[in-house]
Amino acid sequence: MDRTTRRTPRVVAASLGLLLAGATLTGCAPGDAPETVSFHLTKPEAIPYFRELIKEYNASQDDVEVILDASSNLQAGFLRGNPPDLGLLNYNMEMARFMERGALSDLSDMPEAERILPEVQDLVGQYATYPGRTSVLPYSVMAASVIYNTEMFEQQGLEVPETYDELIAVCDQLKAAGITPFYGTFKDPWTVAQGWFDYTVGGEVDVADFYEEMNELGTEVGPESPVSFQKTLADPVDRMKLLIDNYANANAASKGYGDGNLAFAKGEAAMYLQGPWALGEIAKTSPDLELGTFPLPMTDDPEDLQVRVNIDLAAWIPEASEHQEAAREFLSYLFQQDVMDAYNTAQLGYGTTTDAAPVTDPRIVGMKEYYEAADFYQGASRAIPLTIPTENYLQGIALGSSVESTLKTLDADWARLALRR
Amino acid sequence: MTTTTVPRRPRRKVEGIYYAFLVPSLLLFTLAITVPAIIGIFFSFTNSIGFGEWEIVGLINYIAMFSDPAILSSYLFTFGFAAVTVVLVNAIAFLLAVGLTAKIRLKTALRTVFVIPMVVSGIIIAYVFNFLFSNSLPAFGQATGIGVLSESILANPDLAWIGIVIVTAWQAIPGTLLIYIAGLLAVPGDVYEAADLDGASKWQQLLRITLPLVVGYVIINVLLGFKNFLNAYDVIVGLTNGGPGTATRSIPMTIVTGFTGGDYAYQMANATMFFVIVVVISLLQLRITRGRNAI
Repeated sequence: MDRTTRRTPRVVAASLGLLLAGATLTGCAPGDAPETVSFHLTKPEAIPYFRELIKEYNASQDDVEVILDASSNLQAGFLRGNPPDLGLLNYNMEMARFMERGALSDLSDMPEAERILPEVQDLVGQYATYPGRTSVLPYSVMAASVIYNTEMFEQQGLEVPETYDELIAVCDQLKAAGITPFYGTFKDPWTVAQGWFDYTVGGEVDVADFYEEMNELGTEVGPESPVSFQKTLADPVDRMKLLIDNYANANAASKGYGDGNLAFAKGEAAMYLQGPWALGEIAKTSPDLELGTFPLPMTDDPEDLQVRVNIDLAAWIPEASEHQEAAREFLSYLFQQDVMDAYNTAQLGYGTTTDAAPVTDPRIVGMKEYYEAADFYQGASRAIPLTIPTENYLQGIALGSSVESTLKTLDADWARLALRR
Repeated sequence: MTTTTVPRRPRRKVEGIYYAFLVPSLLLFTLAITVPAIIGIFFSFTNSIGFGEWEIVGLINYIAMFSDPAILSSYLFTFGFAAVTVVLVNAIAFLLAVGLTAKIRLKTALRTVFVIPMVVSGIIIAYVFNFLFSNSLPAFGQATGIGVLSESILANPDLAWIGIVIVTAWQAIPGTLLIYIAGLLAVPGDVYEAADLDGASKWQQLLRITLPLVVGYVIINVLLGFKNFLNAYDVIVGLTNGGPGTATRSIPMTIVTGFTGGDYAYQMANATMFFVIVVVISLLQLRITRGRNAI
């Protein structure tokens, strides 16, 4: 009884693997059939758009047939040496590991690689690099910052704050007017990490530099090391705690992401620490609600303002693919400028190429000047390996745990992980 | 010599058929469970992240594990949770079974009602209760002015485990109940008649006659229940996802992060440790109970 239940995930994984292997084998039947390219894409919102593109592409020529793969297990595919031929998905630390171990092919000779904005390409290198290769091409970037209710700000005669003191003044004025300044959704740990933690830390600390030093220190990280969570992040996280304790809704602990979108759409708070993905959800309830975005100010200098970005979609072709040429051709098709622009406009993403169309949506246009000036950072919570329960720790802080002891725990976890890696 | 070969022959024929029954599942069990388990134990001595290059690192994973507060607290939580739940589930299920085997009306209908939670998937139950705990219960708490209930108990690091115990118990009671009903029906009626003649009260009958006669079933339920609750996963994912903070992270949840978080070798060490502990507990339980010729 015990054994079978405990091993279930692995049994399922094994049988799925067998099924998938079988499916791919039959897919490779010899003959005059066109060469198949399996295209891995898992972002649910993006699937309808790319499904149409695939249909068009397959109809336009007879040599290659692109097959959408929206469900296979990526790690298992790489493990078996049978990964998809082309991937277009979220780029994060987990994905970076495939690159770091040389599992992704070099694309630097492709004309598309020349078009990528260098500062956006640099984001890829922040998690991991492979010497001499450009194996990951960013396709779409999500910029995230404070979402605010423009109507409420106007009614209260408020300007977008550009320094920390101005932010506190805005919060105090909203509070005095009986308006909840921030809507918190602490029941979902990721929302604490993505919004509250990443924005406060990114507004004050150079995230990429911090993690570069942390990675160099490795097992040395602790109370005495030159940088550490408990030393470097104490100030921004204390401020995060202050904002949470004073300016968030009282019932934030019981509210989740869905509740937050609904409440914010109904005008129950003036500001919301979420990404552009929430805008579409809010619009489902209140399509006409006027919203804007601004970077969370954490210092006294407006020059320090930065927005949080993440590479929402990035393309890569595995070394192990047997259809690299065909995959490259389809990659070029996907990277046509009008194809990229149409996608980014629909998904509220920012373009990654030098010739990308500028964003115009009023809800995200507030971040444009920062994006164009490369005043951006990748979320601090995203640079910690998933094996450390960062989001849960941060949720603990939001619900009352001590900032100091939680950051100390993070340091200890970091050092312990470095020891066994 | 001849005396031993003669009776063996017919036995062997029968054995052959039994082996034929056993071989398919034995083969599957070996391929799908034993082999991967051995591979997993092997990888717990490496620094593998699940794919790519790796090297043998000896006991480092085990050493790092014993100083990892996240893992230690997950063991504490899981064993505490399993102990509380197993007591609660067995107490309630036993009393329900006594009631449902007594001479009452609507016995069949009631039995059906009590078994319903068993057929609903754990994750669905968890999401439904999540809504109840986060919205309905706080609304009730605010309306009645009960301070503790006015905020979701799942958001309270000290109380969240109670929510998990309640939901797990709600889901686990039917299975336990069915085993107890079977046990109680197997108790012959004449012992109660004899007890009645001797003037034993209903309470005395329950404690002195029913309980000793079904003690084997109690042991089965406690054993199976405890081991199932150690594997708590889906209900916790649906209710708290290990939160608030890390207050309700169970051992299996920590092990799964080895796959999702690229910490394969380390969590294989954790899984190996967990496996050893469960085996030791099972052996101890068997040894303790064997004396009572229960199973």
